[in-house]
Formats: sequence, structure tokens, C-alpha cells
Amino acid sequence: MKNRIDMKGIDKSFFATRALNNVDFSCVSGEVHALVGLNGAGKSTLMKVLGGVISRDSGTIEVNGTPVEINSPADASAQGISMIHQEYSLINELTVAGNIFLGRELRKSGPFLDKKEMARQVKEQLDRFGLDLDPYKPIRELNSGEKQIVEIIRALMSDSWLIVMDEPTSALSEEDKGRLFEFIRRMKAEGISIIYISHHMPEIFGIAEQVTVMRDGQIVLSERTAETTEDAVIATMTGTELENFVKPHKEILGEVLVNVAGLTKNEAYQDISFDVHRGEILVLTGLRGCGAPELAKAIFGLDGDYNGTITYRGAALKPGRGPAVAVSDGMGLVTENRDKNGILPQLSVRDNIALPFLEKSVKAGVLDGRAIEKVVTKAIADTSTKTSSPNQEIRFLSGGNKQKICFSRWLDPDLEFLILLEPTRGIDVHAKADIYRIIEDLAERGVGILILSYEIDEVIMLADRVITLYQGQSVSEFTYPNFDKDQMLADIAGVGQPH
Amino acid sequence: MADITAPQRRSFSLDGLTLRYAVLVGLIVIASIGFSMANENFYSMTNIGILLRSISVLFLVSMGMTFVMLTGGIDLSVGSNVAFSGGVGVVTLVSTGSPWLGFAAAILAGMAIGWINGFFIGKLQLSAFMVTLATFAAARGLALVIYDADSINVHDPVFLWLGGTSWGNLPVVIPFVALMFVALSILLYKTTFGRDVYATGSNFNTAFVLGRQPGRKLIWVYVLTGALAGLSAIITVGRVSSGQPWTGLYLEFDAITAVILGGTALAGGRGKLLGTILGVLLYGIIINGLVLTGTNPYLQSVIKGAILLGVVLLDTYTQRGKA
Repeated sequence: MKNRIDMKGIDKSFFATRALNNVDFSCVSGEVHALVGLNGAGKSTLMKVLGGVISRDSGTIEVNGTPVEINSPADASAQGISMIHQEYSLINELTVAGNIFLGRELRKSGPFLDKKEMARQVKEQLDRFGLDLDPYKPIRELNSGEKQIVEIIRALMSDSWLIVMDEPTSALSEEDKGRLFEFIRRMKAEGISIIYISHHMPEIFGIAEQVTVMRDGQIVLSERTAETTEDAVIATMTGTELENFVKPHKEILGEVLVNVAGLTKNEAYQDISFDVHRGEILVLTGLRGCGAPELAKAIFGLDGDYNGTITYRGAALKPGRGPAVAVSDGMGLVTENRDKNGILPQLSVRDNIALPFLEKSVKAGVLDGRAIEKVVTKAIADTSTKTSSPNQEIRFLSGGNKQKICFSRWLDPDLEFLILLEPTRGIDVHAKADIYRIIEDLAERGVGILILSYEIDEVIMLADRVITLYQGQSVSEFTYPNFDKDQMLADIAGVGQPH
Repeated sequence: MADITAPQRRSFSLDGLTLRYAVLVGLIVIASIGFSMANENFYSMTNIGILLRSISVLFLVSMGMTFVMLTGGIDLSVGSNVAFSGGVGVVTLVSTGSPWLGFAAAILAGMAIGWINGFFIGKLQLSAFMVTLATFAAARGLALVIYDADSINVHDPVFLWLGGTSWGNLPVVIPFVALMFVALSILLYKTTFGRDVYATGSNFNTAFVLGRQPGRKLIWVYVLTGALAGLSAIITVGRVSSGQPWTGLYLEFDAITAVILGGTALAGGRGKLLGTILGVLLYGIIINGLVLTGTNPYLQSVIKGAILLGVVLLDTYTQRGKA
């Protein structure tokens, strides 16, 4: 049986802000419908209306032509609609099967759980989609990609036929992405319908039949993917042709700023050596688990448990010297997880930006508000961060703007070396281009930059030099402009490595 | 994506604290009018002086507690610390005869308890609740040992001056508290330390990665609270002309209630000293009013408990609405 869902004339306002303006949106069985738009375009709001998380002001939702009331998440799942969230809603201590059957466990006679039968049913579903996962494995032993699969299987096993995925690949390695896309193709073949929210054009054009673009709460384009192009979608998203970020060509003439020699930490990385010059952008890339984040932590002084030496400005660094010493030595770090250790949520944009170099704005023992204001205003302007005022609490900004603030705090002229972990994770193309520009500006100024990125296109776009890692070993090195994308992908995937 | 709803949330939260303060001022006015109708003595200058003096210690301790709670912590030991540091001060005074050595000893003793709290919480990363629950018991025990479980009378006029003297109807401790408010406000809003207090409470991990040494800042926050407990001990001794081992009982409860009433977020990172001042005033007026209207003292405790529960309930739900 073919299923279809039609949202018609959906309106939603939050006080003066019109978040959704007469939106029509449909989705049919066996298709992937990509929903794209910049942050704040209304994608999330539309999906929250569909999922019963927020109520609409007007408009109707029809399932197979019959109007239905969806006023709560329970209503939505009764209609077969499931949302897969970016933050996983799984319980770490339970097994795969335990999570999937959570709240509707199968029992033997009496109060005892029938674990065998639950595992069997889960296995059956996993096999149906060609997935290799042990139903008895506890969730905490799974990686992000596997957790996502568990969430989706859980939705499918509660009779969902429409799955909404919000940025499903933002935390996935290339390998897990491939597996997810294969899973999605199989779901399509089984008649499942998928609404796929993403910023990634290749993904969208790789798996979606239909693409809908939202801007300012309205649908601005809805086409079959076969009948449109990546450029057309990007153009409608921003309203203007997005000038692609073009890497300025330059010679790296600066002296060696950081030298890493024979760095080894038993499980994480082995015998890693490289230099970073002043003004150079060195990108480390690999799959998740390649050891690069651990390496970065050692250089920043967060972890002192390693062998080998790190030399900075010509002097050996003391292992595990701590971030306070690192910052006073002119090092900065943008972490991979904004919300965990990147921002100070309840504090203002001003405090978030000014904090690392606060001591410079002290006059006679007290803070000089005007000096701070100057630094902050300039940082906001230089990074084109959108905020109503520096007093704004940072938690109310979009992901892209939060990330810009995580960068803008390091714009101080005393900064000499900046480490960036996944600098554009989960942010839209527009903010991405701004962030690439900020990185180039810093390098231009002579700051040495070490980046960890899992996105191959980003690696190629930003790097002066690339080092590929596979399971803690460095595999190959590429220098601009001699980047061989296919070779890089093969190297990070461990092609030709001994088993 | 989730920022669609940002505009109206932002205006709420910007006005959040201001609105809170307006409500508190309103409640203070209403409570004052209510109690003055119930008891004509409420509005006498004498009673206002007595009221303010009786809550002067609560002002100091609550301001310290505000720093602690801004970092996301809690200090259950302040009441016991007031008894302990008072004991150390009084015994030093009696044995040396020097009020200045007595002052110094009281404040240092308070800071010592604070440092112990800070060391375990900031350096060793233990739970603030558990660490200060331990020192809550230990400091009270030490106070009982020092006093030998009995009070010690104090006659030294210098030692009693701060807590016991009045200029007409105005106890000198009131301008002293005002001075401390100004000093602590400068510390909280105008120094890097103050910014780090907020940063530590907002996100310890971020503060750490940015090199702000939040663990070390925590130690200083508890030492500060301990110093304020020592000062409070001096005022308490001055008020009653004797040092008593059971002084400061339930003080941590009153301070925590007043700070929360004043709008400081339970989870840390948000709140102001002004709110705490208003919170102490409202709480003090209610308690004083209950005494003046002859409310059953056991019932007073029930009312205190109800106030705390009510405020936490209100805050938790309004915060949930915003989160």
C-alpha cells in the first residue's frame, strides 16, 4: 500500500516572528524527501509541527487524504511518524534489543523478560536491511553510526512508515555514512518514506528523489532531484548565488612554530611526527578513531600521558601543562563539541568572547568595560556573527553563530597557534564559508593552524598541507596544490594496510 | 534550526532578572504593609533597626553563598563555620586580650574551613553538597570542643563594636554591610575573578579549556565565603555580647533560601548580588513579621520550608519553560 502525508497551508508564529508561512509539504512512500535551508529557515519548526512537538496556528495534516489531528508526539507515532534526533535518546546501559523494546518488552509467562525472542526479532530486522549488529551489545559500546541505526530500527519496529532525520550524518565517519545511505536505500525499497534534513548537497543528490528548499518560513523550491542541480538549490537557499570560498594561493615562508616528534600514546596514536609553520594550515584527517583529537589534546596540554616530544617556539613543552599555560603561551583551541566544552551557555556573547584574554582589559585591578567592548565589537564584526547585541545570551544563537563565537575569542593579536577540531561540524554552508574565511585570515596574519577534519571536501578546501591518519598511524602527506582526493580517501580508509 | 523561537525567548530572559527584582520589591512592600497592619510596631524606626541588624549576618553569608551558587555549588557549612570561627576568635581574644588578634583569628578560622571545602571541591572535584555536609558537621563539632559546649561572655568594647553599636537608631553594622555589598559587587562584576565565577558555573569544561583554571577559582570562592562567615561570627558575638557554640543554626538554610529567592539559578551561571539583597530583605521581613505577630515558632519553621519549596518549584518550572 502506498502511504502519503500532506501538510497544507501550515502557519506558525512565535509572537512577532512568522516561522512558517502557508507551507505545503508532501511526502510519499518509498521516497527520500530532502529538506534544506539555512539555519532559521523553518525546517525544524515544520518538522516539530509534523511530530506533534509544537502546535500549528492553522493548516491541515492529511494522511492518505484523511485529515488527522497531530497534537502530541504520541499522536504522531500513532500515525507512523518517527523523528530521529541528533542527540541520541538511547540508554547506554541497556542492550540494543533492550533499547528497541524499551517500554513494550516481551515477556515470558510471569514477570520475566523474554530476551531471546526480543533479540531474535531485532536480528530479523537487522538482517532484513543487511545490517551487522549484535542485539546483545550494550549501547555504550556502539559508535555514533550504530546508535543511529538502533534508533531507526526502533522506529521501524514500532510500525513507523515515515522517518524524519535531522542532519543524520553530522556526527558520522565516511564509513558510517556509506552504511547509513545503504540502509536508507533498503528502507526506500521496503516502502519507508524518509524526510532528510541536511546541508550536504552530494548526500541530497545521492539519495533523495525530491528536494524542498525553505527560506524565511516559506517553501522557495520543491523539485525532483533529477530535474534540478546543486547550484540551483544553493542559490535558492541563500537568495543569492553563494560565492564559493576560494582558497587564496600563498607561499608558506614562516619558520617552524610547532614540531611534533615521535609522539606515541599506546592505543591512540603511534610515532607521529610533523611540523607546523607560522602562517600554515596543516590538516589532519582520517576516520573517527584515527587518533587526531587525542593528538591535539596532547599538543594543547590537556593530556600529558604520551611519549615523544612537542616543541613550540623552539622550546620543548612540558607534558600535560594544562590549558591555562597553553593560552598564556599564545595557543588556542576550538573544541569539537560546542555545547559540551565550547560555550558558556548562560553567559553573554561578550563574556564568551572576552574570556580567554580578559587579563589584557584590566586597568588598576578592575576590568575596563570600554576595552572589552572594543575587542568584542571587533570580533563580532570580523566574524560576521549575527547577534542582537553583545548582551545576548549565547545559548539563544544558532549553531553557526555559536561556532563563530568559539572562533572569535581567539582573534587576539597575541595568538600564535590555533587548534581546530571539526571546525564546521553541524553548521550551514553560509556560516561555513565565513569560518573558512576567518581561518584563512588568521593564517594570513602568521598564526599556525592545526585542523582536524573528517570532511574530505573541507580538508581539500582549507589545507596547505594534509596528513592522513589511519588507526593512530600517519599514512601519507599531501602538499597544496597536489591534493589527490581519491588517494586521500583510500589512505584514511586503510586501503592497503595490513590487517 | 532551533533558533526560530529565539526572539521571544531572548526578550524574556533579558527581562528575567529585572522582572524578578520588580516582583521582589513589590512583595517586600506588600509584606511590610501586611505586617504593619497586623502589628503597629512593625514600622517603628526601632523595629526597622532591629530587623536590619537581625538580618545583617544573613546579608553577609548570603552574599558569599551567591558566589558559591553562581559557580553551581552549595555551602552547607556556613552556619557551623560562624560558630567555629566565632569560637576561635573569642578564645583568642580571651587568651591574648587583643581584640585585633581576635578579629584576625576569627576570619582566618573561617577562611580555613572555606579552604578545606574549596580544596576538596575545586582541586579534588568532589561534590560540593557532600564536602560541605561533612564540614557542616565537623565545624559544629569543633565549635563545641572550643567552647566546651558552653558560651563565653565577651566584654571587650572593640570586639563588640561592629555587632553591638548603634548610631541613634542605626546599627553601625548596616553601613558596614552596605560597604561589603559595594566591595563584593566590584569583585563580582569588575574583576577577572568575578567573570571566572560566572564562567565556572556556566560551563566548567569550557572555562577549563579556555585556560581560566575554574578549579582554582572554586577554592577562592569557598575561602571568600569562609571569610564572610568569620566576619559574621564577629558581628554575632557583638550582638549578644557572648560567643555561643550553637550560634548560626539553620543559617545555611536561610542563606540558600534567600539566594534562590533573589533569582540566582540553582545550576549556576546566572544571578546577581542585588537579587540576593532583595531576597534577604523579603525573607527577613517575613520572618520578623511572623515573630511580631506572635506566630507559633514551630509553625515558622514550616513556613520557611514552604517558602523554599515554593521558590524552587517556581524557578524550576520557569527555567524548564525556557530551556
